[in-house]
Amino acid sequence: MEQDSNPVYKDERYGKNRELLYKYNPEGNYEKNVGFHEEPERVILQQAWDLFQERIENARQKVLSGKASPLLYYMEKSLADPMNLSMMAGIAFWKVKLHLKPSFFRHMSEKSQKKYAEALNITVEQLKKVE
Amino acid sequence: MAQDKIILNYTHRQAGHCESGATSNLFNFYGYDVSEPMAFGIGNGLYFSYIPFLKLQFAPMISFRNFPNTVFHRSMKHLGVDAQVIKSFKTPKESMDALDRNLEKGIPTGCQVGCYNLTFFPPEYRMHYNMHNLVVFGKEDNLYHISDTVMETPQVLTWEDLARVRFAKGAFAPKGKMYWINHINGELNFKPAVKMGIQRTVHDMIKIPFWLIGAKGIHAMARDLKRWPGRYGNEKTSFYLGQILRMAEDFGTGGAGFRYIYGAFLKESGNLFINDELLEAADMMGKTANRWREFTYIGARNCKNRSKPEEDYGMLSDILHEIGNMEEQVYRKLDKIVL
Repeated sequence: MEQDSNPVYKDERYGKNRELLYKYNPEGNYEKNVGFHEEPERVILQQAWDLFQERIENARQKVLSGKASPLLYYMEKSLADPMNLSMMAGIAFWKVKLHLKPSFFRHMSEKSQKKYAEALNITVEQLKKVE
Repeated sequence: MAQDKIILNYTHRQAGHCESGATSNLFNFYGYDVSEPMAFGIGNGLYFSYIPFLKLQFAPMISFRNFPNTVFHRSMKHLGVDAQVIKSFKTPKESMDALDRNLEKGIPTGCQVGCYNLTFFPPEYRMHYNMHNLVVFGKEDNLYHISDTVMETPQVLTWEDLARVRFAKGAFAPKGKMYWINHINGELNFKPAVKMGIQRTVHDMIKIPFWLIGAKGIHAMARDLKRWPGRYGNEKTSFYLGQILRMAEDFGTGGAGFRYIYGAFLKESGNLFINDELLEAADMMGKTANRWREFTYIGARNCKNRSKPEEDYGMLSDILHEIGNMEEQVYRKLDKIVL
């Protein structure tokens, strides 16, 4: 079942890794094969990645038009939701929700900024604007 | 910190599932041949839960496996092996020092890590998922040699990277959890272990009186799948369906949400004890797993909007109900087997 590693993915970094997959054949034996995933799995993965890309782009537009704080963009970029981010940074959930709004983001304490920057693996200066 | 070079004589074998693969490789290091399906079955890794009110990556949480570290802990307990688990450390430094001490003693050590910051992973694997397992089997200065059963070859990580993934934050945070085998005495006695493993799995899958766990959970999911299009609209339903399939097929399940691995376990133990009923159950499990595969094929067509008109969510829901019934029959059969 060796096939082309990459027929569905739009980004060619994806789908390079071969996995061990089990099969049950009609003769009643279990087989192990090392190979690439078949098309259905790639389709559903691509679906998820399309959604993530869309969310990131939406967040970027929102930040540029001033409806949300840059934190939203970096949160979506790291595939997290507010709950995840709150756990990663160690900041209360309701505070994270407020920091996603520009007006609250502007008055954020330096301590929180540092926490976010560390959790998202960027610098504090980067956190203040989107590229 | 000792700067010498330690690389243990550890064989890396690729496996379908990270934790049972790690367990089986650890057994192999001590000279006992325990295959991956055997470790998975004895360690009672099979499970099903559907939790619609918790969201994982923006879709309902569906799990086909047991909680992290169950496979290692239970397989050691059932086989009567002297093993140790340290659940948490206070600081990364402390945990890395404990790891170094283990390596100096010549013990390969398993660690629970988060996927998001693992540098050697391909980008599509790097989600916020904190229940991944790998085995550290050597170090050179700042570099650690890692055996990750999802990858084909052993990998290396630096001290900082390893400390970061071992202390990943978020749901089910690993907190530096690590585990290893102290020593094994004499022959392993498989018969009682297999019996205990099967009993526990049967209990988990059909005897828990809660409607979202086990075979009942599959039926609950099937009922909800029919309601999703009316409630959330087509786009979201398609994404939710995609989530079911992703949990079942991608990232180290061995295919069909671990059902193939469990079937292989039943087959292997049936051959080991020459028990026809176990072989029959293995056959039933294989057919169920093939049915899961069919579900994936049709579901993926649905996600791509390429499905035929009769393959709508109603039909997928019917297939899930059928799978639920098939699985329940397997467990009822296993329940009656006397080993």
